[in-house]
Amino acid sequence: MTTGNYIVFIVDDDARVREALGELLAAHGIKARVFASAGEYITAEKPDMPACLILDVELPDINGLDLQGQIAEGDHPPIVFLTGHGDIPSSVRAIKHGAVDFLTKPCDVDALLAAIGVAVARDKEGRLQRAELGVLKERYHGLTPREREVLPLVVSGLLNKQAAAELGISEVTLQIHRRNVMHKMAAASLADLVRIAGQLDIPVTHSRMQAGGDL
Amino acid sequence: MTVTTSSPDDISAEAMRALKIIESMPGFAWSADADGQFTYVSPSTLAYLGNGRDDLNTAEEDEFGWRRVVHPEDYERVAARWRHCLKTGDDYDAEHRLRRADGVYRWFRNSGRASFDSDGCITQWYGTTIDIDDQKKAEDGLRESEGRLQEIIDAVPVHIWSWTPTGEMAYVSKRNMEFLGITENEFGDFTKVVQELIHPDDAPEVHRHAADCIARGEVFVMRYRRRTKGGAYCWTEGRCEPVRDQHGNIVHWYGVSINIDDQMRAEEELRNSKRQLEQMIDALPVNVLSFSPDMVLTYTSKRYQKKIGPAISFPRNFEDVIRDVAHPEDFAVVCQRALDGFAAGTPFVNRFRRRERDGNYRWIEARAQPLRNAEGVILQWYIASVDIDEEMRAQEALRESERILRQLVETLPALIYCSAPDGKPIYRSRQLSDYLGFGLDGVDEEGRPRLDSTLDAIIHPDDLAAVQERYGHSLATGKPYAMKHRLRRYDGEYLWVETRAAPMRDADGGIVQWNGVCMDIDGEVRARHELQLAQERLSRASQAAGLAELSASIAHEVNQPLAAIVANSHACHRWLSAEPANIERAKITAERIIRDANAAADVVSRIRALFRQSSDTRTVLPFKDVILETRKLLADEALRRGVLIDIDIQEGLAPVAMDRVQIQQVLINLLRNGMEAMGSVAGEKALLVRGLADGGVVRVEVRDSGPDEELPAKIFEPFFTTKEQGMGMGLAICRSIVESHGGRLWAEKNVPNGATFIFTLPAGVKG
Repeated sequence: MTTGNYIVFIVDDDARVREALGELLAAHGIKARVFASAGEYITAEKPDMPACLILDVELPDINGLDLQGQIAEGDHPPIVFLTGHGDIPSSVRAIKHGAVDFLTKPCDVDALLAAIGVAVARDKEGRLQRAELGVLKERYHGLTPREREVLPLVVSGLLNKQAAAELGISEVTLQIHRRNVMHKMAAASLADLVRIAGQLDIPVTHSRMQAGGDL
Repeated sequence: MTVTTSSPDDISAEAMRALKIIESMPGFAWSADADGQFTYVSPSTLAYLGNGRDDLNTAEEDEFGWRRVVHPEDYERVAARWRHCLKTGDDYDAEHRLRRADGVYRWFRNSGRASFDSDGCITQWYGTTIDIDDQKKAEDGLRESEGRLQEIIDAVPVHIWSWTPTGEMAYVSKRNMEFLGITENEFGDFTKVVQELIHPDDAPEVHRHAADCIARGEVFVMRYRRRTKGGAYCWTEGRCEPVRDQHGNIVHWYGVSINIDDQMRAEEELRNSKRQLEQMIDALPVNVLSFSPDMVLTYTSKRYQKKIGPAISFPRNFEDVIRDVAHPEDFAVVCQRALDGFAAGTPFVNRFRRRERDGNYRWIEARAQPLRNAEGVILQWYIASVDIDEEMRAQEALRESERILRQLVETLPALIYCSAPDGKPIYRSRQLSDYLGFGLDGVDEEGRPRLDSTLDAIIHPDDLAAVQERYGHSLATGKPYAMKHRLRRYDGEYLWVETRAAPMRDADGGIVQWNGVCMDIDGEVRARHELQLAQERLSRASQAAGLAELSASIAHEVNQPLAAIVANSHACHRWLSAEPANIERAKITAERIIRDANAAADVVSRIRALFRQSSDTRTVLPFKDVILETRKLLADEALRRGVLIDIDIQEGLAPVAMDRVQIQQVLINLLRNGMEAMGSVAGEKALLVRGLADGGVVRVEVRDSGPDEELPAKIFEPFFTTKEQGMGMGLAICRSIVESHGGRLWAEKNVPNGATFIFTLPAGVKG
């Protein structure tokens, strides 16, 4: 019996189903929390740990597929749909929007547990990535305004001379800024800095050749 | 002059002459002393009176001596005057009667004057006494005649007045003044009189006309209203004519006012009654004409003129009038009948087409009636005509519709007959006669009742008894008759027919006749077996269609408990497989499995019951109980959703035969639908469940205040409603349930928002 460090959220308006699924997961040693409606789920305070959302398609307040669309913006656990009458268009839509699986009641328990496993793994991965990105963002926020101007020019591959001309400062000053950026962002090399900028979605705004036209 | 009473011998010649003059004058002369004692009385006087002078002076108890000769009625007045004059010396003048010697009294005028001495004392009185009797009598006569005239004036029932030549009121008779309530002082200024006494509407004209007449010297005649004493106005005719002197100059105007109020009112009433009569004639929806005995048109009512055309120029004789207005085809007959009537003096009636103003002809009925005087002589013919066009057209239409109906009856592909209330045939359509091979007159050889013989002859012997029994029953009770039996065709072959007959009743409900129709159902009957097979196929097909429609819904309903069962089974297995086994949890999950499996079975059995269409489980229940119970079932859910469920059940609502569970499912479904529809509504969420009688059915309404949306067309297809725990079946199933109960289920959009789901169930005991 495993006691994984994750939780499964179940949203289903049929009390019997909620109860049975909760019981099933409990028998498998999986933590679960049940909700009778989408609203209940959204407003509830949820623990910050890897999770999976088992979502019924027909809910009293909102269609499960619509809920998926609504919560897509923020960080949310991967969804496993569970429906009384699955139809192909709904399942296609659900999967396209990132659902882990689309199961029809009464579902195969192994399939459900497998889907939960996939979903939790995906969430763990996502959380890890989000955590790394959080560190990078924090470092980026530590840059001065001038350093934030210098960063895109450097990762775009401009020569120091070109970047300095772009900002109207001396090459020496630019080199100081560049060193500070490398240091603050914990980049071991320029290639490392370029990768970090990619993760932070810092766009490559300049080309060495275009800027070289001034030569 | 001194006259003494001494002997005439002493009188001087001059005095003698004077005396002679005095005594020869007509009239009497006298003289008296200051005490009133006569000193001289002319001889003619004494002769007239038949008294001596001393007699006149001889006093009697302080009275004058001449008392004897003065009329007793006059004496006191005369004596008082004489005493006064003696005392004051005023001139004496009195008129009184004196008794002649023969005892006759005559009127005299006695005048005397005193002469005075130098001290102003009376020395002597001299006087004359003149006979004024004739004059006096003439005066009396005049006065009397004037009095009589005045009496006449005051007595005649006219008001008399006069104007001066310049038009001022000079006289108004007493009667006149009394009538007007004025006094003599109040008239004078004619203008003022007119203004005050003549009706304001008439006054200006009266004044103008009077002034005009006075100026021209023409006779004034006018009718006007005068105000009477009481303030009411009274119609008066005033007439005034001038009186002229020999030179033709007007000396006075004399006028009378005659009260003509009654006359005027009578005339007014006459005019009114004539106008009323005319209005009445014009208001009546009849046209009125009158003709003189010699058949000349004398009157046409306004309505007639309006209807027929431009005013008819009088006189016109009857024939011309009729030629003008009657339809050429009708003219000869109309004219002849009328002329016959006129000649015989008897009332007559004509119906004909009459031309109207617009040139169209309309049917009218004209009735002529003579008016006779006491001697029976015809004074006038009156003709009143009424429009009967619609009647005539209706009759024509009736004849036409009768013809069409007859044709219809004769050409209908059915055998039609009518019979008397006792069942005897009175009519058979040609088709029926053709079918039987004989008409109404063909049978009845052996003197038996026609019905019996007819039935005997045409009904299949195997069916005859039943037909006679049923037909007899209908005839006796008046209930419609319907029977399938075999009917003999002209060629002897019996074919199946369905005969239906119903009574035709008069206004009082009495049966006038029976109308019946025989339809050939031979082919039908023969095809019945095939038809039954076809119906069975159809029934199965429709059941299959229903299943297809409902299968998705059923799957949905069953899937929920099944999903729970599967999950619980795994959980249970898991608890049991654990080391050590968790028996408690396993037990709980096993119990849940049993519970959910029963729920699923319940769904299945209910659905099966639905398709069985059986009414075994139906009981007669009051609706209120069912609805209240439903609300209780949904109370928690309603609370969670913030919905208020109001229930309004009509008092004394008839109970309904129903499958309690099924109807409850319908109600749960509808209520839940309503609650869900209001999920997105802000503010008050109220669900109203009403139950009321509507004709022979009980009507239940579930009204929500959901959003203002059109109801989807496919509302009664599966899955319109969302699933919930319990029996949340689709509206399609609700409709099936309601229809299996003999009712209807439909939805209506509310104004301004929300929807109402309504279902009906037949009231009463019937399943």
